[in-house]
Amino acid sequence: MTCKQIREKMPDVAAGLAGTTSEETRHLATCASCAGELEEFRRTMALLDEWQAPEPSPYFDIRLQARLREEISRPQAGWLAWFRHPVLASAFTVLMGLGIALFVADHHGAFTTQDDSIVAADIQAQPGTAVSDLQTLEKNHDMLADFDLLDDLQVQNNVTANP
Amino acid sequence: MAGMTPAGMGIAPVVTAAGQDLSDADIMLRVKAGDSAAFDYLVQKYRRPLVSFMYRMARNSAVAEDLAQEVFLRVYRSRNTYEPSAKFTTWLYRIATNLAVNHARDTRYERPEVSVSLDEPDEETGTTFELRDGKLTAEQEMVRRERLQAIRSKVEALPERQRTAVIMHKYQQMDYKQIAEVLKLSESATKSLLFRAYETLREQLKDFI
Repeated sequence: MTCKQIREKMPDVAAGLAGTTSEETRHLATCASCAGELEEFRRTMALLDEWQAPEPSPYFDIRLQARLREEISRPQAGWLAWFRHPVLASAFTVLMGLGIALFVADHHGAFTTQDDSIVAADIQAQPGTAVSDLQTLEKNHDMLADFDLLDDLQVQNNVTANP
Repeated sequence: MAGMTPAGMGIAPVVTAAGQDLSDADIMLRVKAGDSAAFDYLVQKYRRPLVSFMYRMARNSAVAEDLAQEVFLRVYRSRNTYEPSAKFTTWLYRIATNLAVNHARDTRYERPEVSVSLDEPDEETGTTFELRDGKLTAEQEMVRRERLQAIRSKVEALPERQRTAVIMHKYQQMDYKQIAEVLKLSESATKSLLFRAYETLREQLKDFI
């Protein structure tokens, strides 16, 4: 038995929640330091006993019954009850806002170059100029893309590449 | 609860048809099955310890009653999902500790510094000063109040976990294992936590010992 071992048990012994084994009793009889510390713990516990808690008031049961009745009569919370939570409600609002913003932006073409391509197609370039060459390349690109699609549909035999 | 009447709230031991005492977890399973008398039994059994626990955690008797009632309401609300995986009291005190700690955090800045005066009622209990059957003089009563104030404030000044552990150990008579389960600590960590807490109290209250 060491001082460390018995010290860990002191709060329980001093509070009267545990007794001492014969070995611990022998140690306490021979170790003045541990015996003194245990005595101080006992006095501290006795002092702490002075802090008494009041009994529940006579209205405790009545108030609890009223709160329980209120609990029972309250309609069961549906899934909409989640939105009463301020954090969830805020998160939902932000998500809805973001969703709407993305939807609107998409329909106004903010993420595409559709307008640019329309403008490019509308330009009537003179044959042989750089702009005309670029337009031809652009058309060929579209045509090649169409070929891939027609390959998939197995109808490429009916198509001539340069009509 | 419709069946919960003051007259029907006596703590009769709950036994099975075979005459065996039921554990609190078994009684809670009856609550889960819709037995309102079983809930009344648990309220009657634990209202005093819970009010006492909450009083020492919140240091106000009216708030303590409110919080204790809230614990019972939460037990009632959770009846359908209750699983007896842990001891009933562990579950109960875990609910109580969470509520008390949250309340303490929410009202941290609302508590004024308490002074000891014979002319004013006690802030925690609401009682006014009275000489107890002439056994104590006014001076002795003043000293007693001062000592009590020191105990309350030194316990309250402990770190949150130490304070909760001391209240459970000293005033609720819970053993290390149970405290460890409520606080989700190992048993050895709880022992060491309590030892440090009592060491602090012993040191800080030595003028009153």
